[in-house]
Amino acid sequence: MTVRLKGTERDIVTIRWIPKYTTMERLGHWLHTATFVPLAITGLILYVPLLQSLSQGQAGLFVRLVHRIAVVLFGLLPILYFIVQPRRFIMSIREFMFDKDDIGWVLSAFSYYLLGRHAAMPPQGRLNTGEKMNGLIMCVTWVVLGVTGLVMWFGKGAVPAGLFHWMVLMHDLAMIAAVAMFLVHLFLAVAHPLMWAGLVSMHFGVTSAAYAAEHHARWYYGPKRARQLYEEAKKKAVSETSH
Amino acid sequence: MQPSDRASASAPDEDDVAILYDASKCIGCRACERACKECNNLPAEPVPLSDLSAITWNLIKQRKGVDQADWPFFNFQCMHCTDAACVMVCPTGALYKDKRSFVAVDEDKCNGCGYCTQFCPFGVPGLKDINLITGEAKVGKCIFCCQNQPQEGIGRVACVEACPTGALTLDWRENQLEVARDRIAQLKADGHSKAVLYGESEAGGLHCLSILLDEPSAYGLPVDPQGPITFSSIWQKIIQPLGEVALGATVLGVITAFFVTRRNIRMEEVE
Repeated sequence: MTVRLKGTERDIVTIRWIPKYTTMERLGHWLHTATFVPLAITGLILYVPLLQSLSQGQAGLFVRLVHRIAVVLFGLLPILYFIVQPRRFIMSIREFMFDKDDIGWVLSAFSYYLLGRHAAMPPQGRLNTGEKMNGLIMCVTWVVLGVTGLVMWFGKGAVPAGLFHWMVLMHDLAMIAAVAMFLVHLFLAVAHPLMWAGLVSMHFGVTSAAYAAEHHARWYYGPKRARQLYEEAKKKAVSETSH
Repeated sequence: MQPSDRASASAPDEDDVAILYDASKCIGCRACERACKECNNLPAEPVPLSDLSAITWNLIKQRKGVDQADWPFFNFQCMHCTDAACVMVCPTGALYKDKRSFVAVDEDKCNGCGYCTQFCPFGVPGLKDINLITGEAKVGKCIFCCQNQPQEGIGRVACVEACPTGALTLDWRENQLEVARDRIAQLKADGHSKAVLYGESEAGGLHCLSILLDEPSAYGLPVDPQGPITFSSIWQKIIQPLGEVALGATVLGVITAFFVTRRNIRMEEVE
């Protein structure tokens, strides 16, 4: 995108947009969100004593019905994604895996996100550590919530009570992990002053080259160049603080 | 009937009422079963059951391998525990302790989740009108004939009133315990060496006490229905609050982070 002053031929700013997420990724992300949110809300109504009045009688039946309707799509989404784009599906799972740069990211994340300090962050791939963490937790909890939820739905009375108890407990623990992660993810995506670009990418599929260079250097420059730039930035930061 | 805060009580109160069942007086006539059905307007089971259900609230069971002449019967119904797991896990408050410490049911509040059916150590509550797909269902179990009960005094229950042999009686719990102890001493003297009272301290103290002629396990009863730590208490007293604290802390953390970040980033811009 180019911004140009009226009546002149001169460009003021040029933003180069580069594709970041595929249409299928974005569709999957938003359908996942659209089913996760009602699932979390209806689940929490049964979980939080403060919301007890919403869980009673007809309202409670409705809440449980919404949970069941939403979970069908929530449960099918990854499977559909795998059927439609199996290679991309496996690539996405691989992308969520941690490497040693992610540890460096976690260590610097506090000062970066809270204090807005642009101290040298280890170069990130297309997904940064926080996004990976979110993806990984969503994958693990999808499995746990799915298995335990299916037993709770169809196994009541059919499976031993002891097993059912474990299912309820694990469903709760997985829910806590997923909802806590979701809240942090939501904050970083929607409310964090530095992170506006993520939301733009998830909407339109593109990101600005400048943003990608800073936040996703390993993806933008490739691992070798990104490493080189990172080492230079670190040296610079050290020499600046020693002066 | 108002829910009381008895659900968390760990010991029965002095003014609690209890049923006492004496297996050494029960002839298995099933008059109690019929009276329960009539009094509570419960339909007949389509096929005879070997266990309680949402529409069968008491059942005469038999000890296996015991001769008919050896008092094999056992009246199985809701035990109305002091530490009732069903009340603890019910997310809606449909199951609650009524003023006299019985576990009552407010069917209008029930959303059919069925946690009670899975957490009761005796397997008492059942679900009726079940729709497996939508999850629609309603709980059903002995409500101590609550609809006929006064808020004070001993009251009346159908099964006890129908019992022709005095195997079922209703009185203050303290009195029942005394009667039961005397009866057990007498039974032991008569050669029933295994005679035992079930329910004095089990699950915090039951409100349906039983004089048994053999070990509880012979009647299919759990020896220690709640044990020192139960799953329902781990779930309700540890995991549930832990989850609330964790999620509450996350929300608070995120909000704090928002303001801290905004402030720091603004200051940076000023610099």
